[in-house]
Amino acid sequence: MKSSNKRSHKAQKVLERFEKKLNRQIVGSLVACVHCGNCTSACHYVLANPGDPTYAPAYKADRIRRIFKRHFDWTGRVFPWWVHAKSIYTDQDLDDLKDIAFGKCTNCRRCSINCPMGVDFATFNRMARGLLVSVGVMPEGVAVVSKDQWEIGNQMGVLKEDHVETLEWLAEELEMEMNDPRATIPIDRPDCEVVYSINPREVKYDPRTISDAAKIFYATGESWTMPSEDWDMTNFGLFSGDDELGGAVARRLYEKVSELRGKKLVISECGHGYRSTRCEGPNWAGMDITDFEMESSVITMTRYIKEGRIKVDKSRNAQPVTFHDSCNNARSCGLFEEPRELLNLVCEDFREQYPNRAENYCCTGGGGAMSMSEYTPQRLKSAKIKADQLKATGAETVVTSCHNCVDGLSDLIKHYKLGMQVTQLVNLVANALVIEPRPEVPVEVAPPVAEPAELAGSKILVVDDEPDFLLFVSTVLEDNGATVLQASNGDEALKLAKAEKPDLITLDISMPGKSGIEVFEELRNTPETASIAVCIITGKPEMRQLIYNRPVPPPEGYLNKPVDEEAIMLNIRKTLKLISKE
Amino acid sequence: MPDELKVNKSTLRLMKTDITDLEIDSFVYYAQHDLALGSGFGTSISIRGGPSIQEELKKFGSVNTTDVVVTAAGEMKAKQIIHAVGPRFQEEELESKLKATVLNVLKAAEDKGIKAIAFPAMGAGFYGVPLDLSARVTLGTIKEYLSGDTKVEDVVVCLNTSREYKAFQNQFSTLGDK
Repeated sequence: MKSSNKRSHKAQKVLERFEKKLNRQIVGSLVACVHCGNCTSACHYVLANPGDPTYAPAYKADRIRRIFKRHFDWTGRVFPWWVHAKSIYTDQDLDDLKDIAFGKCTNCRRCSINCPMGVDFATFNRMARGLLVSVGVMPEGVAVVSKDQWEIGNQMGVLKEDHVETLEWLAEELEMEMNDPRATIPIDRPDCEVVYSINPREVKYDPRTISDAAKIFYATGESWTMPSEDWDMTNFGLFSGDDELGGAVARRLYEKVSELRGKKLVISECGHGYRSTRCEGPNWAGMDITDFEMESSVITMTRYIKEGRIKVDKSRNAQPVTFHDSCNNARSCGLFEEPRELLNLVCEDFREQYPNRAENYCCTGGGGAMSMSEYTPQRLKSAKIKADQLKATGAETVVTSCHNCVDGLSDLIKHYKLGMQVTQLVNLVANALVIEPRPEVPVEVAPPVAEPAELAGSKILVVDDEPDFLLFVSTVLEDNGATVLQASNGDEALKLAKAEKPDLITLDISMPGKSGIEVFEELRNTPETASIAVCIITGKPEMRQLIYNRPVPPPEGYLNKPVDEEAIMLNIRKTLKLISKE
Repeated sequence: MPDELKVNKSTLRLMKTDITDLEIDSFVYYAQHDLALGSGFGTSISIRGGPSIQEELKKFGSVNTTDVVVTAAGEMKAKQIIHAVGPRFQEEELESKLKATVLNVLKAAEDKGIKAIAFPAMGAGFYGVPLDLSARVTLGTIKEYLSGDTKVEDVVVCLNTSREYKAFQNQFSTLGDK
């Protein structure tokens, strides 16, 4: 490879790594193009920008191909002018390449399957992205998402505590909805039939997809679980071209399934997640996955219906729906008949859009495009093709098996004012579920052992001139097991304190007759009541200082009104603990 | 394989856990030149630690590669964060800059009287420093430093995944021989 002193450090590093990325598949695609133009009419960017040849896949491919020709192909070394070979020299050259590799292509592969020569432009465009990322040249959004996935373990930076909290909240809601404690979301349960992995978008923005999946698993009685960590089945390495990230992300998930001894990894509806986890991940991670199976949740749900494990009523999904094939599912993984089979099982009015299946147009949010805000205008312009396709169906709802497509479609529907809803198969299946009451499983329940109430054995004197407040505090304390004495003025309080010697006195400050301050001082100065703990509860916090300025030991507790049960109990608990310590 | 080494009076050990959830005197954050916390571990620091950390960083402005600044850790379990701007993305003199960054972290800890520090896999992952190089330079530099006169007692290299852990453990097993 020829190097040049004029070349920037980054450009030199890109060239060095380029050589290492060349394999038979890449080289085949780099040398085979005959510029026939078939790819041109396959690309949604070209169709939406007919006057701009720079969007043509062959043109974009030539920006990468000419570097290959210049450095790694003998024709370019001997006749560079003849084969249009050209090197890269500056950081600006890399920036220009970035705008093509990231900004003018979603790696949807529609041009690839329409090329008579078998040129897979998306594959070497992904390679070009990876080369740029390796020298830090990438859209800001790609950097943000990649770093989150490298360091937090999921591409939206969802922390473990937030993930678990969301799952617990969803489980509580499901239990309430089903009125059955068995309706739950098991976390980190080992030895299950199914380990369910999700897209972080679900936990962050669309938790309904998780609760719908949980409802389906509950209805089947499936043994399933969700991991508290390493649960992300998406993989930004597919978009950024960083194979190392791809391998690290896939490995985390595979190792988690093995650690939980799960029998099957079910991947929720996400095109690039399915492709990355099911198809590309083992290669990136250099792992041979033999101890569990991997399956799209579309197939899992269809199987449950066909095996009679769940019943569905398709009349619940009566509205006209169309289906958008995710590029990664349909074109790269051949997953296009399965979602249709499921749609026909759970919907009454399914309408195809044309073209469809592997020939479908991209949602225009693929390839990480939704994270690259600098290219949003050109993305939305190119979405005109998809918008026209959707509009022609007359459907009210577009269904897709991909979270990325949900976002891409929602954005273009809003932009082109189509007024359509976007949903996923999991939502439709959950909506159509006919849940029959599950038989009660007799559970041997040990006879309840009554735990002693927290304040059992404590005698507490409550002093307040407001009858309502007196009753409220007394009830809270009695409910927690205390024996309660009541006094509504100072004299009564002093009398009861001397006679009953309670463990604790709650004392109001502002009372007619003897004030709480006077009562407090007298309690402290009387030998038989001096050691009784006192908790001041007052509606006049400005008088607090008067209590603490008295020439006697300060009160053990202090509370400002208004108070609630929790605050009272917290203070009483602390005060009593203090006494027992002493 | 060993994952703990005694160097003079200090300990150097490996751990597989989330560095931003560790109860320790201080941990190292592989920072950006403008000291914006950003994403990744920066997300954890912002969420778990609260806004005071980014606020405190404002007074430092921008810093150069190998520079180190120390802030409090807000509401995190650690007490302090050592923000270290290491080399990235195949930049020139990567190895020597990485070594200088690790040394500057240790010196900053010494100056601040910090006894325990947790390091991540320095520069590996997003910033593209090869994992083996990161392990060799980070562990080698720490061991060399602890062999001298120091008040730093406990250095933990905290790895995020089994992939990182294995790479560091492989390097760790050769440390005792040197």
